[in-house]
Amino acid sequence: MKTLMPYPTVVGDIDVTIEKVALDGRDLPYSMISRNERVVALHEVERAEWEEARIALRVSLPEREIEAGPWTDVVCVAILTEGATNARLARPLRKRTDGAWVGSVPVSRTLHRTRASLTVSVVGTVGGVAGRVIGAADAAWVIDLTARAPERKKELNIVEIDFAASDEEWLIKLKESPWLVDTSGEMPTVYLNTGFEGLAPLLNGARSEMEKSARGLVASQIAGDAWTAMFHAAVSDLEIGDDGTPQVPSGWRESVLRQMLPDVIPGASLADALLEVHERRTDGQGWSALQTYIHHAAAKRARIPKYVRTAVRALDRAEDSER
Amino acid sequence: MNRTPPALPEVLALLPTTAATQHLTRGVLTGQEDPPRVALQRASKPIGASAARWHTAPVRELVEEAMRRFADARTRADAWLAPRLHATLRMTRAEAADPELWNFMSLVVAPDYVVWRHTGAVTSTTSRPTAPADRFVGVAHKHAFARLWWAAEMFRDGEDYRSAEFACGNQDVLHTALRLNAIDHRPTALALLQVLANLAARKVSHLGDHVNALASEINIVRSTLMYDVIAPVEPPDTDAVLEWIAEAETAPPVPLNSLPDGPRDGRVPKTSVDALVKIFEKVHEESPHLRRRAATVDNAGAGVSLAKPGI
Repeated sequence: MKTLMPYPTVVGDIDVTIEKVALDGRDLPYSMISRNERVVALHEVERAEWEEARIALRVSLPEREIEAGPWTDVVCVAILTEGATNARLARPLRKRTDGAWVGSVPVSRTLHRTRASLTVSVVGTVGGVAGRVIGAADAAWVIDLTARAPERKKELNIVEIDFAASDEEWLIKLKESPWLVDTSGEMPTVYLNTGFEGLAPLLNGARSEMEKSARGLVASQIAGDAWTAMFHAAVSDLEIGDDGTPQVPSGWRESVLRQMLPDVIPGASLADALLEVHERRTDGQGWSALQTYIHHAAAKRARIPKYVRTAVRALDRAEDSER
Repeated sequence: MNRTPPALPEVLALLPTTAATQHLTRGVLTGQEDPPRVALQRASKPIGASAARWHTAPVRELVEEAMRRFADARTRADAWLAPRLHATLRMTRAEAADPELWNFMSLVVAPDYVVWRHTGAVTSTTSRPTAPADRFVGVAHKHAFARLWWAAEMFRDGEDYRSAEFACGNQDVLHTALRLNAIDHRPTALALLQVLANLAARKVSHLGDHVNALASEINIVRSTLMYDVIAPVEPPDTDAVLEWIAEAETAPPVPLNSLPDGPRDGRVPKTSVDALVKIFEKVHEESPHLRRRAATVDNAGAGVSLAKPGI
């Protein structure tokens, strides 16, 4: 446990293994469970209409430490939560004769929408107080209801669409744009306008050196736009904690902030940088000065310097060969 | 607003946030203009299978009734509307977590309600007061309709909406407690309300202060005590929820003068609520947090009111 508690807590490893996942009673292929990434992908093409998944898990605790320690009435609980649906479900696990704690957690389609998080806590009586949290598994498992493969990182959707022929009215209005970035949804999306003449062939089929360098320039420009938009979206949605400081968000927002803040506010810890950015944004002091650094951080992630240099060199060579 | 707006669509739809935000002009926020219904409908996606629960007429009736009943005290509309909206718009939590549904509610079905309920007081003579944009398109605990639906969902006790009605009768519960992760555990939500009801029965002053203090106490204590173990509860009966949703096809409109029935997905055991009430009351009595806050409010003089009308 990372937080310091006013009572003794368990130091040893608390290890969670997902043993089996069943969708409406039918076992999910093991390939849908990634132990390394701690992700279960519940989306199966053949069974889009599933109602309930059941996740069987096994937890091993540092048994000797627990037996020797000052804790009594030790129990182990699995907790499944999802922020978007305010869902929280706690299931007690039972101790097997071999010492492992086992049990299962139901994931109902009615209670979950995109990604649920499964954690395990160890609870016991310490110093006469019952129900103390004395340990927790290091990291949560992600139960992804939309993924076809158990991968943790999913930060950006790319949609290739002809804006002018789209069903979405706002896209039709913006049909002159080669690309757009939308950060208002659950996942940021880059819309590439296939109706923008020449864009799709350039991005997908560049062959000559000049074409390739032009593709690099355009692609890095798109990526830069996306990083900037995602950064702005992430800092404008910050939740403020009880102590008045901004909380590190979850999902892609967390990932974007973790990657960009070191370049935006160099040398500061994540929490300090977040507070600094949040304060500058809300009171307006120094917010415009910060734009330069946000731009720099986005360009760096999008590798714009690299692609510009490559393009310049390609141009030079083309000119040399013409002489 | 005296010309007749285009007809209200018969069923709800899903309005993407990007499209919704585009039409959130100042004129819409002040209520001087209607959002462009035709354009918004064109930007919306159908909600899937047709079902009575997605019909707009019953919701629209409720909203109009709320504006009529509470014309002089609009904050009081929350406690009346929340359970009735919940029992009219019957859906699963997974469905209710879709912001696009709420965008459609606020911009197409009842923008007049959002303006009526959430426009702030007149602060200057030059600019018209506006409703905050996040009441139209925003996170669930801010959105004009989502916050009511979710408050009813989080604070009901199975089919019994009385606790939800009590919760929505207090603006600070809606402001502070609704965004508290701790209330995702149902006994915690009900215990919080029970502690407040006990305080209200003792006629303590500044109940709003108590709500805020309690919310932080519950959060702090939660980092060392596992409420789920101290106050166990069975998972909700999802079949009962689905059955209740299916009954929407034949159910009559919700009663206006008595509370409707929610889904019979299981009551929270009283022993669990009591166990937490004991803990919360003890912590609250010892709370330095509350004493400090009470002191600041008293010092600030008589001009400070904790009631937040119109917010």
